[in-house]
Amino acid sequence: MKILIIEDEARIAKRIERMTRDFFDKEAQILLCDSVENGSNAIESQPIDLLLLDLNLNGEDGFDVLQSVVAKSFQTIIISAYTEKAITAFAYGVLDFVPKPFDVIRLSQAFERFTKPEKQSGRDLQFLAVKKAKVIKLIDIKDIRYIKGAGIYTELHLSDGRMELHDKSLESLEKLLPPSFERIHKSYILCWYEADKLVVEAGGKYSMLLKNAELLPVGRSKYKELRHKMI
Amino acid sequence: MSTALRAFEMHFFIRYLSYLYLMYRFLLFIAFLLLLFTSCKQDIDYSESKPEYWTGKGTPLEYPGKIGDSAFHAKLGLKLLKRNKSEPLGLQVNGFGAFKVYWDGVYLGTNGRMAGSGQPEIPGTETTYYQIPEKFSNLGEHVVTVVGTQSELRDSYRGIDIKPESYLRMLRFPLIIMSFMNLMAGAFLIAAIYYFFLYLNSSHRQAAVLLFGIICLLFFILLIMEYVKFYIDIPYTQFYTRLEIVGWLTFAISMLVPWYFMLQFGFEKKRLILLLLFVTLIAIYILNYHHYDITAMRFSYAMWFAALVIAASAVFRKIKGGLIVLAGLLASAIVNYFLVYDFGLFITFTIIVLSMLYLHTIRTKAIEEAHDASLLLSSRLQLELLKKNIQPHFLRNTLTSLIDWVEESPQQGVVFIRALADEFDIMNSISEVTLIPIRQEIELCRKHLEVMSFRKEVCYDWQENNIEENESIPPAILHTIIENGITHSLTPSEGCICFSLNFRKEVTYKEYTLLTKAKNRQTRKDRSTGTGFKYIKARLNESYGDNWHFESHAVEQGWLTIIKIFDKK
Repeated sequence: MKILIIEDEARIAKRIERMTRDFFDKEAQILLCDSVENGSNAIESQPIDLLLLDLNLNGEDGFDVLQSVVAKSFQTIIISAYTEKAITAFAYGVLDFVPKPFDVIRLSQAFERFTKPEKQSGRDLQFLAVKKAKVIKLIDIKDIRYIKGAGIYTELHLSDGRMELHDKSLESLEKLLPPSFERIHKSYILCWYEADKLVVEAGGKYSMLLKNAELLPVGRSKYKELRHKMI
Repeated sequence: MSTALRAFEMHFFIRYLSYLYLMYRFLLFIAFLLLLFTSCKQDIDYSESKPEYWTGKGTPLEYPGKIGDSAFHAKLGLKLLKRNKSEPLGLQVNGFGAFKVYWDGVYLGTNGRMAGSGQPEIPGTETTYYQIPEKFSNLGEHVVTVVGTQSELRDSYRGIDIKPESYLRMLRFPLIIMSFMNLMAGAFLIAAIYYFFLYLNSSHRQAAVLLFGIICLLFFILLIMEYVKFYIDIPYTQFYTRLEIVGWLTFAISMLVPWYFMLQFGFEKKRLILLLLFVTLIAIYILNYHHYDITAMRFSYAMWFAALVIAASAVFRKIKGGLIVLAGLLASAIVNYFLVYDFGLFITFTIIVLSMLYLHTIRTKAIEEAHDASLLLSSRLQLELLKKNIQPHFLRNTLTSLIDWVEESPQQGVVFIRALADEFDIMNSISEVTLIPIRQEIELCRKHLEVMSFRKEVCYDWQENNIEENESIPPAILHTIIENGITHSLTPSEGCICFSLNFRKEVTYKEYTLLTKAKNRQTRKDRSTGTGFKYIKARLNESYGDNWHFESHAVEQGWLTIIKIFDKK
């Protein structure tokens, strides 16, 4: 596992590095960068799994950086002094926001969100950033009908019929999305408001009929839970 | 009636006829309505014949001045057509010389003393008033005989004019006019004194204030000069002196008013316009030489036109107050059209001066606002300075580093805390002043570098050269440059980032140069537009006005910042 730390203050960077190493033990390979440029280059040159990012680097607003990193396949944890930016950061789809000053407990909590496979409490995500022809585009999650896993990336099916590709996996997205989104199949996450009714087809095949008459497959293991939720 | 009589009427009644004619339209000018009503309501009607002047023998001459040293006789026929019997009849005589006046052969009075055998003439005044005994004031034909001498001003072709009028009205008329004119004159005198005091006691002496004071004073003098005739018996020999003074006063005002407008509206080609105006006024003077009333009137026309051009250009350039002045000028033109010259000129001037006064209050308001803004700015800068150390990114990053130091090496952590406390102390002590000793600023910088070296684990070096301990500097200026230097410098692989402060004192300015010796980070944003530079510039402005120069740019060694402070201009 590769973890990239972008932090311009040497002392703090070392602190994060030390705590990260303590948490992940030897399985983590940790990279340190002290500027946005170096960080971006590191991201481009090698795939990473987790980014630990400071929002204000050398006097530059990290907002642009934030937009570009959340479109990527890896998860991002912000470690920043700008606590007032936390809501924005969550809206754009970061896994956690660790305010400075931090201790080992708080940072470990963030790491646990990353390592635990199950769905998280569902933060205030409002947008999913997708990269389209080198431009970052923000998709309002209200416009998402359902998300289909397609290999290493995902397809965002929107209410106007369009489809966008996202670099994060279905598992990564599941951790970010609010509770209104439900995993109904190993390849599908559905926005609960779009669900119309559960359909049992011949041969014990379960499906979910959407309000726009689309039919999505429902995983056998999910059926019971969904039926319970529908009632 | 003969043409001669008609010409006489034209000459003599034109003013009063026009008053009558214009009375209908005067409703707009209520204040003057009263004045004009009282002065122009005619309850005397008369006709007169062309006067004749002779020495007793020979043919009559046109003007008394043409008669030599001997006394002239003037016979002026007059027919009273109507009069109000309740008021005594009076006679107004206008003429040069020293003379005695007779009404139907009855002696009415004397003006001056005629030249006689061996004794020189004591000149009379131009306008005199006489009461006519009631028993001789019947309707019908009368003869006014004037016997006198005119030793001076012989080549001025002025005859003797008479005008019967209610004696009371004759005495009251100047009083009414004077009441209005003195009112105006007093106002302008007060304004002049006020603006002179304002100019003298102002720390920023504005030429416009002085100019306005001068205009008010000249206008006051003009009003006094114009109407001084009513309360001083000016010898007829000095009759033209007053007109000459009035003319030159009008000339000066006609130059100064457009000049004032140009100053107030920031007009570009001041000298050109002033030169053109001057040439025009001189030309008017030469072309209308000895036509005093016409000269003064045309002066004011030239002034009005110049002011109109300036105001129009101000309106075009959307300058505050331009529209008001333009409206004032147009209003004065309308007034001038409706009123005869005498009053018209003064009302025109009054309107113009009022619009100038308005303009001045606008400027004063702007200055007040600028002052308020500067106070506001000062307190904003204070706040900015205080915020430097309580900004979350400073405080939280510092605390994070501090936790780490305390966890790792408590001794070093204590040193860190001390440095931080010292920086806070200095910040606190300088937060409310606009200038601090340079040594205090340097201390602040060094403490900040100490704090930052704990945070960044970079070695920061401070060098200074030629610092004069007596000098002062706005607070946290160098501190801001250092903050920028730390943020925008790449961490050196070995050695220190060095900040080197130099001071230089020249004849006209002092100069601080602060060189950051390090490699610059590449930034996407322009470094020179940040809030830090805004703070520095605002602080320099606050303490030095415009007498400073600030530049900050990359150099081969790193980053160079130069602050020049000029001696007050």
